[in-house]
Amino acid sequence: MADSVIQTVSLSKVYKGELEHKPVTALVDLNLEVQRGEVYAFLGPNGAGKSTTIKLLTRLIFPSTGTITIQGKDIRDRYALDRIGFMPEQPNLYGYLSGREFLDYVGAIFRMSRSVRKERAIELLQLVGLEKGGERAIRGYSRGMTQRLALAQALMNDPDLLILDEPMSNLDPIGRKDVRDIILNLKEEGKTIFFSSHILSDAEMIADRIGILNEGRLVQVGTMSKLVDKQIVSTEVTFEIAPEKLSSIIQKDLTPVQQENRVMVRLSDESQLSELLESVNQSGGKIISVIPQRKSLEEYFIAQLGRN
Amino acid sequence: MRIWAVALNTFKETIRNRILLNILFFAIGLILLSLVVGEWSMYQQVKVIKDFGLSAMSIFGLLIAVFIGIRLMVQELEQKTIYLIISKPIRRWEFVLGKYLGLSITLALNVLLMSLALWGASYLMEGYIDWSLTPAIILLYVEILLVVAFSMLFSSFMMPTVSAIATLMIFIVGHLSDFLMEFIALYPDKGYHWLLNAIYHVAPNLEKLNLKIAVVEDLPYDSSVLTFGLLYGFSYILILLIITAIVFERKDLK
Repeated sequence: MADSVIQTVSLSKVYKGELEHKPVTALVDLNLEVQRGEVYAFLGPNGAGKSTTIKLLTRLIFPSTGTITIQGKDIRDRYALDRIGFMPEQPNLYGYLSGREFLDYVGAIFRMSRSVRKERAIELLQLVGLEKGGERAIRGYSRGMTQRLALAQALMNDPDLLILDEPMSNLDPIGRKDVRDIILNLKEEGKTIFFSSHILSDAEMIADRIGILNEGRLVQVGTMSKLVDKQIVSTEVTFEIAPEKLSSIIQKDLTPVQQENRVMVRLSDESQLSELLESVNQSGGKIISVIPQRKSLEEYFIAQLGRN
Repeated sequence: MRIWAVALNTFKETIRNRILLNILFFAIGLILLSLVVGEWSMYQQVKVIKDFGLSAMSIFGLLIAVFIGIRLMVQELEQKTIYLIISKPIRRWEFVLGKYLGLSITLALNVLLMSLALWGASYLMEGYIDWSLTPAIILLYVEILLVVAFSMLFSSFMMPTVSAIATLMIFIVGHLSDFLMEFIALYPDKGYHWLLNAIYHVAPNLEKLNLKIAVVEDLPYDSSVLTFGLLYGFSYILILLIITAIVFERKDLK
C-alpha cells in the first residue's frame, strides 16, 4: 500500500536454542501495517513479542521468515533506516560521554555536518528539558534524564518515523506527560509514531490505532474509536421522580441508586432505554441525563487476552 | 565518516578508561625502573634497560589488548548501547572497523608514550636517543594490533572470560610457534599431531614480529624482516577483521 510506513508480511521469529535450551518462538506470522501520520500503539503483556517486533523493525535481529518494508524500502536496504528514529526500552547510553557529545556522535552516524549537529543538539536538549544537563557526563544522569536523552537522540535526524519501545516506562507522572506531549507535537508535525507500551492509559490518550499482541500473535488491530469508544457496555440514566412512584417504573433486574427524589440506574441492554424513558415521563418524572458508558482500553485489552 | 565517528567515540571511551591509564602508568613506571635494574648488572646496563623496556611494552600491550579489546565489544553488547548505533544507517562491518580503528589509535598513543619512556631511559644511559629500537617498537605495535584483532573476534561470539583465555593462548602459542614445529618434527606422532599442526597453521607466528633480540644485541638483520613483518601482521589483521565482521553481520542482538 502506498501510504504504509511499516509493513510486515508473515513475519516470524524463532530464537535458536543455545546449549540445552529449546528454540523459542517469539513471533508468529505477523502482518502489520502502519499508515503515514498515525500514532500506533503496540500493546501486549510481557513476553508477548513486542520488543522482538521492534528489534526486527530496527534490524537488531533478523527474521526467521517473512519480510519487512519500511517507507517502501526492504529492511535489508541500509537506507531503510535513514529516516527512522529509534528509542529502545530502558536505554543505556555511553556513560563517559556528555549529553551533547552523545547527540553529536549520533549526528555523525547520520553524516550530519559539525555545525548542523551542534545546532540540532542544542535544540533537542531544550526540547527534552536537558539544556542544563547537556555538558554533564551521562553516567550522572537519573533514569528519567537518560530516557529524555534517548528520546532526543531518536529525533536527531528529524525522522519521518519514530519507533519507541516503552517510551513512558521509568518516568514520573510529569515526565510521562512531557513525553506524551512531545509525541503529540510530533504527530502534529506529520510524523508517524509506532510505540510499544504496557501503560494502557498512555496509549489510550495518544494512539490513533492499536494492535494487541499475545504470545507472539497479533490478536486485534483497529482504531481506538472503533475498538474502544464505540463499544457501549451500559447506559447510565439519571432522573427525578417522586419516591412512591419509583417501584412502579423500575424493572425487576435493575438496581436503582436513590438519593431523595433523584435516581440513577445503569442499563446493560440498550432496548430497556426507551421503555424506561417512557415510564419516567408517564409517571411525571424528569430525565436529568442519559450517558452511554464506554469500555476502557484496559477492559478491552483484558477481554481480548482472555478470549485468546 | 561513520567509521570515523565510531572510531572517535571508541577513542574517547578507551582514553577515559581508568584501567587503561593504570596499566599505562604502571608500564611507564616499570620502564623507568629498568634504570635501577640496569645499575645492578655489571657490564650490560644498556642492554638490560632496552630488553626490560621492550619486554614491559610487550606484556602491557598484551594486557591492554586483552582487557580493553574484549571489554570494548562485550560492554556494547551487555549494556545494549549498541542498539542505538546499529539501528541507524550504518553497516555492521563499519561499526566493527570503527571500533578497531578507535582502539588502534589509543594503542598507538600508548606505545608512543611507553617508547618515549624507553628512549628517555636509554638517553640517560647512553647520552643519545637510540633510534635503532624503532623497528622493534613498530613490529611490537603490529603484534599488539594483531592480538587485539583476535580478542575482538573471540568476544564477538564467546563469553568474556573464555575470550580472554583464548586471546592469551593465541599470544603464548604465537610465540612458541617455531618450537611447536620442532616438537612435531622431533617426536613421533602419538595421534595428536593433527591438533598441533592445526594450531601451528591457525595461530600467527608472533616471533615474525619480534625484533627485540636483534635490536638489543645489536645483531645485523635484513631490512626485509621489517617489511615482511608488517605485511604478515596486517594480512592477518585484515583476515581477522573480515571474519569478525561476518560473525557480527549475522548476529542477533537480543
